[in-house]
Amino acid sequence: MMALIRNEWMKTFAKKSSWVYLAAIILAILIGGIFYQKMGPDDNQNWQAESQAELASLNTQLNESSEMDRRWLESRIEQLEYYLEENINPNAKNNWDFMNEVVIGVSALVTLFVVIVCSGNVAAEFSDGTIKQLLIRPHQRWKILLSKYISVVMYSFLLVSVLIAAGYLIGLIMFGSGDFNTKVFEMGIDGQKVSEAGPQFFQKIIFYLPSLLMIMTISFMLSTLFKSQALAVGIGIFVLFFSSTLGGIIVMLADRFAWAKFLIFPHLDLTVYALQDEILGNITLPLSLAILGVYYAAFMIITFGFFEKRDISI
Amino acid sequence: MSNYALEVHSLTKKIGKKTIVDGVSFTIEKGEIFGLLGPNGAGKTTIIRMVVSLINRTAGEVIINGHNLDESFTEAMSEIGAIVENPEFYKYMSGYKNLLHYSNMAIQKIPAERIQQVTELVALEQAINQKVKTYSLGMRQRLGVAQALLHNPSILILDEPTNGLDPQGIREFRDYLRQLTEQGVSVLVSSHLLSEMQLMCDRFAIIEQGKLIHISTMNESIGEQEQAEREVTFETSNAENALALFKEAKFVNEIKAIKGNFITIKMDKESIAKANRLLVENEINVYEISSVKATLEDRFLELTNKEKVGQTL
Ligand SMILES: Nc1ncnc2c1ncn2[C@@H]1O[C@H](COP(=O)(O)OP(=O)(O)OP(=O)(O)O)[C@@H](O)[C@H]1O
Ligand SMILES: [Mg+2]
Repeated sequence: MMALIRNEWMKTFAKKSSWVYLAAIILAILIGGIFYQKMGPDDNQNWQAESQAELASLNTQLNESSEMDRRWLESRIEQLEYYLEENINPNAKNNWDFMNEVVIGVSALVTLFVVIVCSGNVAAEFSDGTIKQLLIRPHQRWKILLSKYISVVMYSFLLVSVLIAAGYLIGLIMFGSGDFNTKVFEMGIDGQKVSEAGPQFFQKIIFYLPSLLMIMTISFMLSTLFKSQALAVGIGIFVLFFSSTLGGIIVMLADRFAWAKFLIFPHLDLTVYALQDEILGNITLPLSLAILGVYYAAFMIITFGFFEKRDISI
Repeated sequence: MSNYALEVHSLTKKIGKKTIVDGVSFTIEKGEIFGLLGPNGAGKTTIIRMVVSLINRTAGEVIINGHNLDESFTEAMSEIGAIVENPEFYKYMSGYKNLLHYSNMAIQKIPAERIQQVTELVALEQAINQKVKTYSLGMRQRLGVAQALLHNPSILILDEPTNGLDPQGIREFRDYLRQLTEQGVSVLVSSHLLSEMQLMCDRFAIIEQGKLIHISTMNESIGEQEQAEREVTFETSNAENALALFKEAKFVNEIKAIKGNFITIKMDKESIAKANRLLVENEINVYEISSVKATLEDRFLELTNKEKVGQTL
């Protein structure tokens, strides 16, 4: 088994694209860093006076604004008051702010690459015809497929590690070392809450990993079933970008039909749990994880069961 | 241990309602080169795919060196080295890395020198560190042979192995197969290149429309034809007189063609000598007697045509 995984690893890194994806992530963080530095208010020493002035103008606006604007204004006022009270410069940026706001956004790119790599891994063996040379070896088919699965999981986690490491280093160089527990405001559906940038970042990453594993498994399954990378990437990206939209529809459905809560889409993005404790009314994190677990098992059984039986006639 | 390198018992493959391979059985002895012959679409590749477990069998058994493919898959598969149709490689890796990849998949560890050894054997030393995408068809085929031999298999299963090889390569390949069989390795080879098979195989089976219709040793098959009539061309000094003589002679059945001093007639082996004597006795000079040698091709066409006639009746 180790030899099989080593082989897959060798093939992964013999492909140029595997290196391109790694480089692209670093590049994206770099670009994100430049924008993060250019955009946003300056980090000046007069922040207290400026905050006071903004607070005053917001308070006057509050009286003459519509219901919609009022909520936003109120939360902004709350933020400013909090900063003044705690004596935190709201405009100061450090590497943990950067991690929590920008680097976490680049994880979407990681997911995209993971979808491409996972669908490509099996599909390319079929389209190049190399699958037949692979399956005439003294190894059970499921072992060969499992070695491929493990290798894409390893590659995906390498991408995530590169994201974190490069994010940290680039943040450190561009914004300097900051307090791991820097206070930040996060907007959730239940309103805003104060949290700490570093822990918040890692919490988001931890919530991101199960969704990544699910997307990975779905792409892997599709490419094994359809032998076509294009189709697998297409459906994978569709699931990726529409799961939030579908999630929204399902929220409405779930009001009427209890079963809608058990569809996979609202559970794919667990990062919402970093901001709130319950989704769809009464679904909590452990329940979401259990639902994902059931889907995961089903996808794996379908993938391996199908591959074990299929005729290879290329 | 079994006496046979490969036993195939009533192998059948159905896809949908179509029967692609129908109850094919044969055995291959150790050190034997066994050919699968058949026209395009006969089912040769399908048989080979079932033997190497790329596709499921609808029915039938495959036993490799005494290991049943269903019961001891790993043991059975580690005895096999195979090329199925065109060998495909990871184009983005070098030939060497491709071989390394397959050597890692062997059950018994393959020493590093072995890769070097097979590379030399297929004369790819020059190109082995280039990416496979730069290889020509013949070079890929050579790499395919190298890949099949890498783990010293006891049976080689080769589907059209000489496809794309140059004459030199084909000859070396044939010689190497002979050498291997002396070490007890058996070979199952499929082709529709009949002349090729004639030179290569000890025994062969003819497959047509999924059925095994004939099986015999190469010598038997061609030997049977010794007695059959064949076309013989005589070059003489006087075609007119020769023709007159032939027409009278009892042993000449049919005069096929006359062209200048060449006369082509149909007769059996003994009659050739009689015809020659007849001409010489009548003071006609004989410069050349040539017969179209009975080839596997004739045999093959004869057998497959007979089958067709049989079916239309
Ligand atoms: N997956 C499939 N579905 C349906 N029919 C198939 C399939 N694979 C092969 N066949 C049919 O089975 C028959 C045998 O095909 P096969 O490839 O075994 O022929 P072959 O003897 O190797 O021919 P060739 O000399 O051209 O290589 C063909 O008629 C082909 O159309
Ligand atoms: Mg074929």
